[in-house]
Amino acid sequence: MTNEFDVEIIERDDRSALFVVRGLTPAFANGIRRAMVADVPTFSIDTVRFVENSSVMFDEMIGLRLGLVPLTTPLDDFEVGETVTLALDVEGPATAYSGDIETSVPEVVPADENIPIIELKENQRLEFEADAVLESGKVHAKQQGGVAVGYRHLQRIEVVGDAPEFDEQEPNILRGVIETEDGELVVTDEFDNDLTQRYPGKEVEVVDVPDTFVFDVETDGSFTVDELVLRAIESIDARAAELEEKVSV
Amino acid sequence: MELRVIDKTDEELRMEVAGEDHTFMNVLKGALLETEGVAAATYDVNPEQSGGQTDPILSVKTEGGLDPLDAVAEASRRVQDMTADFYDAFEAAL
Repeated sequence: MTNEFDVEIIERDDRSALFVVRGLTPAFANGIRRAMVADVPTFSIDTVRFVENSSVMFDEMIGLRLGLVPLTTPLDDFEVGETVTLALDVEGPATAYSGDIETSVPEVVPADENIPIIELKENQRLEFEADAVLESGKVHAKQQGGVAVGYRHLQRIEVVGDAPEFDEQEPNILRGVIETEDGELVVTDEFDNDLTQRYPGKEVEVVDVPDTFVFDVETDGSFTVDELVLRAIESIDARAAELEEKVSV
Repeated sequence: MELRVIDKTDEELRMEVAGEDHTFMNVLKGALLETEGVAAATYDVNPEQSGGQTDPILSVKTEGGLDPLDAVAEASRRVQDMTADFYDAFEAAL
C-alpha cells in the first residue's frame, strides 16, 4: 500500500525550515518529531582534562558550558560512542570563544565561532583537552540535534460573511501557516499574525485541514535541517525493520 | 529492542518491547490499527522511575484467523513503507 505524502517546503535556511506535509497521521508526525529531538545523535564534549584553569569559573562550570557548545557532526563517518579530541589554550586578558577550540578531526568543529566560554583577565589562563562523544539526545539534552521542533495543523481560512457593522474589530491572532481558499499557503508573519489585517471587515472561520501538518524545525548547527529530518525518518525505519525481523523468528 | 512474549493465544498477544518508548510504539500502534484482521491494539508504558515495569507492553487482539505475531510483522512492514515513502517525498521536495 503506497502512501501519498506531499511535502512542500515553505521557508528554508541553513538551520531552520518550515514545511508542509500532507497525508501524515498524527501518530507518525509525533514519532518523527520525537525522533528528531531525541534519536538523531550529535557530537558534544563529555570529558574535560584541565591542564590549567586560573579563571574565575571552576572546572565543572566551564565543563558545563563546553558541553553545550554545538559541534558539527558528520554522521556517516562515526558511530554512536566514538570520541573526538579537542583542545583549547587561551591566556588573558582575552575572552575564550568557541572559535578558539582546536579539533583533531576537521569535520567536527564548533558550529558557532562566537560563543563566549569565559572572559579571562590578566594572568588568567584556560588550557584543557576534551573528548567529544557521539550520543543521542535521550542521554543528555546537550546531545540534541533538533532544538526547536514542532508541528501544527495546517489551517484553512474560510470567509463566511461580513463582520457585523459597528463592531470594533478585535485582532484575531493566528500563528503558523494558513491555506487560503485558493489553496495558496501563506505564512502568518506576512500579515502580522492578525487575521483582521488580511481579511478586514470580514468574518472568518478557521478550520484544520485533516492529516496535514506544518513542521517548524530548527537545528543547533550540528547538521542541516535536511539531514536531521532524513536521519529521523531512517531511525524509525530501522526500528521497524528490526521488529519485523525479530517477530518473524 | 528486546522482545519477550508474555501471553500468546491464536487471537491475543501480550509482548514486552524493551528498549523502546513512545516514539516508536505509538507509530506501531497506529499501523496495527490500520492492519486488516486486527480487532484491537494498544501499548502500555509506565513512567521512568515509577519503580515498576517501564518497558512498553504491546497488546494485540486479532480476528478472522490472523495470527497476532503475523499482524505485528505486517504492521512493521507498513511502518517501513510509510517511512520509505516519506523519505522519498521529502527528498523530492528539497
